[in-house]
Amino acid sequence: MSQQAAEEKLPLSGIRVIDVATMIAAPYCACILGEFGAEVLKVEHPSGGDLCRNFGTATSRGDTLAWFSEARNKKSVTIDLHHPEGANLFKALVAKTDIVCENFRPGTLERWGLGWELLQEINPRLIMLRVSGYGQTGPYKDRPGFARIAHAVGGLAYVAGMPKGTPVTPGSTTLGDYLSGLYGCVGVLFALHYRDQTGKGQYIDTALYESVFRCTDELAPAYAMFGIVGERHGPHLGTACPYGHFPTKDGKWVAIACTTDKLFARLAESMGRPELASTSLYGEQKTRLENRHDVNEIVRDWCGSLSRDQILQRCHATGAPAGPLNNIADIFGDRQFHARRNLVAIDDEDLHETVIVPNVLPRLSKTPGRIKHLGPRLGQHTDEVLKELVGLSQEEIADLRARRII
Amino acid sequence: MEEEIAEATGKPLPLSGIRVIDVGTFLAGPYAASIMGEFGAEVLKVEYPVGGDPMRRFGIQATHGDATLAWLSEARNKRSVTIDLRRPKGVEIFIKLVSKSDVVIENFRPGTMEQWGLGWDVLSRDHPGLIMLRVSGYGQTGPYRRRPGFAHIAHAIGGLSYLAGFPGESPVVPGTAPLGDYMSSLYGVIGVMLALRHKAKTGEGQIIDIGIYEAVFRHLDELAAAYGMFGMVREREGAGSFVAVPHGHFRTKDEKWVAIACTTDRMFERLSDAMERPQLASGNLYGPQRKRLAARDEVNAIVSEWTLSLTRDELLERCIAREVPIGKVNSIADIFEDEHFRARGNLAEIEEEGVGKVVVPNVVPTLSETPGRISNLGPRLGNATYEVMRDILELSASEIAKLRQQKII
Repeated sequence: MSQQAAEEKLPLSGIRVIDVATMIAAPYCACILGEFGAEVLKVEHPSGGDLCRNFGTATSRGDTLAWFSEARNKKSVTIDLHHPEGANLFKALVAKTDIVCENFRPGTLERWGLGWELLQEINPRLIMLRVSGYGQTGPYKDRPGFARIAHAVGGLAYVAGMPKGTPVTPGSTTLGDYLSGLYGCVGVLFALHYRDQTGKGQYIDTALYESVFRCTDELAPAYAMFGIVGERHGPHLGTACPYGHFPTKDGKWVAIACTTDKLFARLAESMGRPELASTSLYGEQKTRLENRHDVNEIVRDWCGSLSRDQILQRCHATGAPAGPLNNIADIFGDRQFHARRNLVAIDDEDLHETVIVPNVLPRLSKTPGRIKHLGPRLGQHTDEVLKELVGLSQEEIADLRARRII
Repeated sequence: MEEEIAEATGKPLPLSGIRVIDVGTFLAGPYAASIMGEFGAEVLKVEYPVGGDPMRRFGIQATHGDATLAWLSEARNKRSVTIDLRRPKGVEIFIKLVSKSDVVIENFRPGTMEQWGLGWDVLSRDHPGLIMLRVSGYGQTGPYRRRPGFAHIAHAIGGLSYLAGFPGESPVVPGTAPLGDYMSSLYGVIGVMLALRHKAKTGEGQIIDIGIYEAVFRHLDELAAAYGMFGMVREREGAGSFVAVPHGHFRTKDEKWVAIACTTDRMFERLSDAMERPQLASGNLYGPQRKRLAARDEVNAIVSEWTLSLTRDELLERCIAREVPIGKVNSIADIFEDEHFRARGNLAEIEEEGVGKVVVPNVVPTLSETPGRISNLGPRLGNATYEVMRDILELSASEIAKLRQQKII
């Protein structure tokens, strides 16, 4: 199949997205849409552009690695939306666009004369994703919000860490951004499905803290019904045992999760101590939870007596659920990551270097997504887009540029 | 399209008319079905006749009925149909049900469905438009595909657990145990919706294949790129972050915690104002992020000293007045008191027959014209078996009785 035919086969081919957001939250939704064929125009402020260009480790071009990875497949178009002429250019683009992703503080776009009501008048089929720290409504809506704050407000940070110790970052500070991007993308695809059948557009209102809170399992019903306040359990879990992280003889860590009795029986077998899983000992979850200290001690002793590889080999032989606590160096050497092509090396022409980034998810059998290129230079596609979509001449573009509107 | 109007909202549901079979267990995959159900898809939860989904017994048991709270909350909007897939007659019934459905969601260990004669080839033979979502610990391919996988293991494999906790100490659970299950399900819904769009254009169905560990790994910003280019191995960062200072959790005078995130210099300037020490943000002190990162411990100590001198409420008031990004590190008790959660309707109170009042997280995301809704909580085992056999498979009452007697359904 020719490249053009392959592109046309992508499920979102023909769909145009404007990503006027910053950092990772709403932009990650646009990123996924782009991986599956949508044309994504990243609209940025002419001086400096998206803050994500400064987030984390810088490359020789200045833009950071996070930018290169997460702005993949996007075209960069600079427009100053504070300026009335800039706002007009934006409206001209919106008229030819299916989806707008934004994550300003609520009210900002409205102040620039680019609120939902106005944009929808320009384009009644428009779908608009609005992500913000606290959502478009409610008493905190005007507060600044970042994923760090959302993890705290959404109840995730409180349950991460050692019992009574300082709550820790739940692994990564950007987690809530990705989660909101995912929920945003779900909303956009539902809205697109509805629009495909009715022609009607709509907006999606997602808050960072809500996306985090939605992933907290039984925390809310358990508090409402029994007054149980979920606390930090360190590496363990309140409702299953043994479940946690255990140090191995060679100074590494393994994760073990016996959520059912059957899985514990397999672990006992791996340990060469099947009797541990008898009902008179620790065969039942209830007994194990009552004696969690002893059970964890037994597992800890066993893990401490063998290397990580030995532990994993014995667990895999019986089907006991265990895995290594991979750091990124481990991941680069992991056979499963290689076999699934989870890491992909992209040669960036502009950077003159190869950047290794996480590959596209999810994996579709007939219409898989793809990475065409990594994050663009600021304004790399401004001229092209303003010529083709807005019909501006070279002179008009030069004039707008001289006046720093683009 | 015949629009189905939701009673709860008076608005149309975007996925009405789509039938989903959820034959998975626990959360990774089944949560994808829950979201689709919230937005109008008809979800049939196919379960083993004896005991059903083990999630019914996982976690804290509700006071009434025989289900756990996690089941009640996350199996929302589903109807339960019991079929024994280990028996040929059960397999036959399942294939018939699939032929009248749009989407199948499963999360068995790869090869299990094939073993029962329910692989993709069989299910799609007379149903080329079928969409099949397959979630497993490691995905359908690769050397580890047969290994049992749970979110806890996926957090470890995917590189998230290694990063959670204090440097030199035990890595901890990155917040909640099933995080990876939620993540992989969200990718699942995205995959299904993309596949439905392709099907609408071409009539062609397909498979979506997701490993839980992959969903976790996809969320680690520059981790892979920074190792690939500079050999940087990120370590545990405690309550902080490598990208910015101060950016972490701080103790308050009344023994609570707040999160503060000064991602940019401007945010730090505002914080210094809130602390009534604007000189901290000068260029020769801690104004530039670069200087703050170099003096991480000093800066954190200064902020910490200040937060310990005030109550959580006082800190929030001062920071919010100056637009400093701050939030309470909420426990679930705090969340129930929080006016913003109330205003946004994030806690849904559902009265469930035989169980009583259950409070669960409400639907996310919020759509303006076609919002989702919770129509029921996790169903009783087999509550829709009879109806489904009669209405969808058009079996007679005596056929159904016979199947039940043989314990096939």
